[in-house]
Amino acid sequence: MNAPATVGGRAHGQARRTTYDLVRALAVSTAFGDRQVLQGVDLAIRRGEVFVVMGPSGCGKTTLLRHLCGLQPPTLGAVFVDGIDIFAAGAAAMKRLRLRSGLSFQGGALLGSLSVLDNVALPLRENTTLPERVIRETARMKLDMVGLLHAADLLPSSLSGGMKKRAAIARAIAMDPEIVFFDEPSAGLDPITAAEVDNLICKLNQVFGITMVVVTHDLPSAYAIADRIVVLLDGKVAALGPRDEVWHAADRRIRDFIERRIPTDDARGMDVAAHMEI
Amino acid sequence: MKHATIKVGTALDRGSVGQLMLDLDREVRARPDRVTVDLGAVEAFDSTGLGGVVDGLRRAGEQGVEIKLRGLSQPMLDLFSLVSVQRLCTPAPALVRPDPITRLGAFVEPLLDSIQSVLATAAETAHAVFVAPLRGERVRLDRTTIEVDHSAVGALPIVVLISFLLGLILAMQAYVQLRVWGAEIYVADMVGVSVLTEIGPLMTAIVLAARSASSNAAQLGAMVVGEEIDALRQMGIHPVRFLVVPKVLACAFAAVALSVIFDVVAMAGGALFAWAVAGIEVGAYQEQTRQALHLADFLVASVKALSFGACVGVVGCALGMRVQGGSQGVGRVTTNAVVLSIFLIILIDAAFVTMQRMVLS
Repeated sequence: MNAPATVGGRAHGQARRTTYDLVRALAVSTAFGDRQVLQGVDLAIRRGEVFVVMGPSGCGKTTLLRHLCGLQPPTLGAVFVDGIDIFAAGAAAMKRLRLRSGLSFQGGALLGSLSVLDNVALPLRENTTLPERVIRETARMKLDMVGLLHAADLLPSSLSGGMKKRAAIARAIAMDPEIVFFDEPSAGLDPITAAEVDNLICKLNQVFGITMVVVTHDLPSAYAIADRIVVLLDGKVAALGPRDEVWHAADRRIRDFIERRIPTDDARGMDVAAHMEI
Repeated sequence: MKHATIKVGTALDRGSVGQLMLDLDREVRARPDRVTVDLGAVEAFDSTGLGGVVDGLRRAGEQGVEIKLRGLSQPMLDLFSLVSVQRLCTPAPALVRPDPITRLGAFVEPLLDSIQSVLATAAETAHAVFVAPLRGERVRLDRTTIEVDHSAVGALPIVVLISFLLGLILAMQAYVQLRVWGAEIYVADMVGVSVLTEIGPLMTAIVLAARSASSNAAQLGAMVVGEEIDALRQMGIHPVRFLVVPKVLACAFAAVALSVIFDVVAMAGGALFAWAVAGIEVGAYQEQTRQALHLADFLVASVKALSFGACVGVVGCALGMRVQGGSQGVGRVTTNAVVLSIFLIILIDAAFVTMQRMVLS
């Protein structure tokens, strides 16, 4: 893990690495059939930071997240957690890694047949030998952290979108993980609930020192929570570095994305003029 | 230089666009150098109307005829500004029909994939049931009980009904043949042997395939679509151990239990027919049945039912776990699960019969 943190398509002046890399993606490329989703993505996530993966829809953010958390191996390249190549390390190492990490899915992915409390308690029940009373209390505590204690006995089908997301976060932190991955935590939420979720992510990061990897295309949310940001465009790293550095990057495509400008090379417009009689 | 003009009326919407397209087609067929479409009089238009104009531009372009639009109002220009006319007029790439080998591959590959995933799931399930408990990993018996309730108890009414009717039918068919030789009492043998060795396990398994393989495939498929399976994996929970093993155990148990019930009820149906139509006393029928059946037949039939049940459980779950393509994919694997289950049941049955014959001869 002593490789210098030279990352991404652009030099970002990060000559000296002061913190410890927890996750590294090395030349990660992925294709689905003929479609190249990720192309040579290199990045390092440091222990204890909030790392935000940004980019427009379809740029490969979620695919990258699935590689980083070990759900899906990339077509080429490798992912290292604590210096271990997770897709080459075997099932036991993968399981150890999974017990150290949590993932909050975009749609929540709560098990429909279990109550909210049972969903949060599930990883504890299946992976530990703790007494049931401790498990229940821990699960209730996590639910209270996300403000869902009142919904503990409800089934996921009766929760709103925001509640599902918060329940998924509670489940992701049930095992006190070192790292939590979030897939679009604020997508589809109203601004207030989105801000609450952002706040929760920051608090969990500050209080427990959990490393947070957040995939989002929500700009205000990204700005509010990020320590460092990577911007993916067309499956490649377009910018990577501390939040403010990326936010003020000079690259036109980054500017277009951050300032929410419609790309200037888009052909939509007045090309009907070519068919008009002058 | 040939030149034609089409004048559009006050409306260019879904009611009048057809006329414009007919006019455009006619003019373009006449091969002028240029067709001018005068939209100056149009007061009301919608996107269908402008869609007709774009369609005309594309088709004329393909024929090498130039179309010029005249008198576009500002609202029309505003609507056109939301799209790129050039992009819309670019002909879509023609679909290339794949060569026969590729098409054969596209047909065979999913089939091989299905079989591979069925075998893999079977192996993982066997590992979880027979090997993992030795290492202290418990089998989820609580969940298995719930699954037994779904697959066995839920199927009980239909199994009882089918078995009773089949018992009656078999007795009736046998009676018609045997009456000729005055051997009516052998109805008991025919019903007993055919139900116990073949029809009982087979029909039960087919009912299970229709009820449980489909519901397991649909349930697991929906869980794949909802990322619930990924969530389990991410939590360090093995989806096969957690979800599939209880379902397979429940199906295996259900197949054995239901086939015993099937046998008993079908024989009762046969006895009822024999008593009511052929005048055979129930006691005599029972005695005749007892002489015809052997414990070994029952044991072989139970093992057969067990394999059928496990097969139904594994196929439903294995196909459900590899759903692709959203709700449509769930529908497809549900159908495939039933079809493949029944096919494999017949295959396993044939294997059993062959083995039995080899042992006997």
